[in-house]
Amino acid sequence: MIGIECRALTKKFMKGETTITPLDSLDLVIEPGSFLALMGPSGSGKTTLLNLIAGIDRPTSGELLVDGLDIAHLSRSRLARWRAEKVGYIFQLYHLVPVLTAYENVELPLLIHPLSRKERHARVQRALELAGIADRHDHYPRQLSGGQEQRVAIARAIVADPPLLLADEPTGDLDRESSTAILKLLRKLSEDLGKTLLVVTHDIATTDYAQATLHLEKGRLVTEPGEEQRHA
Amino acid sequence: MPDLLRVLPLIAKQIRRRPLRSALTLCGIAVAMFLHSTIDAMRDGVERATRVTAEDSVLVVYRENRYCPFTSRLPQYYGDRIEAIDGVARAIPMKIEVSNCRASLDVVTFRGAPPEQFVELYVPDLEIIAGSVDAWLRRSDAALVGEALATRRRVVVGDRLDAAGITVTVAGIIRSDEPQDENVAYTHLSFLQETSQRGGTGGVVTQFQVKVTDPTRMEEVARAIDAEFARDPDPTATRPEKAFVAAAASDVIEIVEFASWLGRAALIAVFALIANSIALAVRDRVREHAILETVGFTPARIAGLIVIEGSLLGLVGGGVGALGSLLLLRQRPSIGMEGLTVEFTAQPGAILLGLFLAVALGLAAGLLPAIRAARRPIAGSFRAV
Repeated sequence: MIGIECRALTKKFMKGETTITPLDSLDLVIEPGSFLALMGPSGSGKTTLLNLIAGIDRPTSGELLVDGLDIAHLSRSRLARWRAEKVGYIFQLYHLVPVLTAYENVELPLLIHPLSRKERHARVQRALELAGIADRHDHYPRQLSGGQEQRVAIARAIVADPPLLLADEPTGDLDRESSTAILKLLRKLSEDLGKTLLVVTHDIATTDYAQATLHLEKGRLVTEPGEEQRHA
Repeated sequence: MPDLLRVLPLIAKQIRRRPLRSALTLCGIAVAMFLHSTIDAMRDGVERATRVTAEDSVLVVYRENRYCPFTSRLPQYYGDRIEAIDGVARAIPMKIEVSNCRASLDVVTFRGAPPEQFVELYVPDLEIIAGSVDAWLRRSDAALVGEALATRRRVVVGDRLDAAGITVTVAGIIRSDEPQDENVAYTHLSFLQETSQRGGTGGVVTQFQVKVTDPTRMEEVARAIDAEFARDPDPTATRPEKAFVAAAASDVIEIVEFASWLGRAALIAVFALIANSIALAVRDRVREHAILETVGFTPARIAGLIVIEGSLLGLVGGGVGALGSLLLLRQRPSIGMEGLTVEFTAQPGAILLGLFLAVALGLAAGLLPAIRAARRPIAGSFRAV
């Protein structure tokens, strides 16, 4: 299990001549093994926070400790290797590789691990089964529905068994029935496999499945009076 | 290496992703490498036929200021005077008849030599792959035919070979490392003198093949021969055999030299084709590279995928082109001029070098797009598409 700690975490970037600050001196502690929903209006910094925690973007200032490691100062290559071990990322638009089958998409993260073909097969098969999409393993993304594509994306995120799962609006492009199924699946992963799970969402239904919900507004956490910024 | 094997199917799928673009790129590379390999074989053929080496020990004595077998006429008795010169081992009179004096792709050259001298000096260096020397000695109209000429004219032992108004019976097929022997029909000297009916019958030959005792004295012996006949009615011009070929084939050599620039241009075409294809592919896959990096591929590994893709295009396209060139060169094409032959054969080393160049160019062509892809920020890549 993996914990996250942000101290005065800030992200700024320039848009034309305007400085945008999606995250503004954010302090946050996420306990290992928790399942948190992260809500807030568009532009509140939810996806930016998720990207910073995943190491696919860098903070402008502040500290970001994931599992005790300050990832803000890792090189790009070390970050990639770290992600391969520690992070599974689920995108709103699934981002599957269109020329690969469901099986091959799920296998992708394992190609960089020194595993035999047999070991890879066993892991891919297990991930597909956990995500409930094993029967579509030989289908290409264009042959799958949105819900099925998201299941493949979830299988890809868990196949290397990372302790931290990050999901950016995983149900944002799905109908209600598919959304419910995906949220149940995410909760199952958190409860059964002990993953730390942070889900960015606009969908209020997600809060029913998460252990706690964080609200971001203008790059800062919005907290009730007396509530600590320590979660789950 | 195991890393490479794991990602090869992914790279292969990416190449097949745009079948038309990949096919056109591969076609372009194949044509360019076909040109390069074939031109390289031509250049190599010219070099082998014309480069004088330290082991060469044969001089050709020709009529001075004559460049064609039709006009080079030397008295056969010159042979005795040549053999009397210090440094000469043997002088073989040779009558040459050709079907076409100009540069042509299908020249048939007859060389008439005294049978005993031919057997003594030439046969040890030849491989008789069909028929026999005995059969050649028994018949006055017999010919020992070079393998390349026999293949080109589709004749076998016992057939009649007809060219330049001369008809011979094929008594044997010979194989040799020397292109001149591969594209010639050796006959008895007297037969050729009587049959050709040009410049009288006996007593006139086209040239002498002179074997020297010491290869380091080639130039000295050549000067001595020309000095011997300087005041005769038929003065001579003597050169090492390969220098003689080089002089006779100077036009062809110039053309081949020019063509070698086309070969180099073909390599540039290979580079441009692969670079263009990879640059387009990388532009198409900005988001996919970001996905790969998100799931743990390092930037260097992503760059590696792109570079390997370029090399694979070079390998496959270059392989097809080299194979095409190999098939063409297996027909042993040659250019004949003035009774001499420059043969173009497939040299495995040259083909492999061409293939290596295609792979290296593919690798180089993929390098810049690979570096760009590896440097592109991940988060920006998701937003860019």
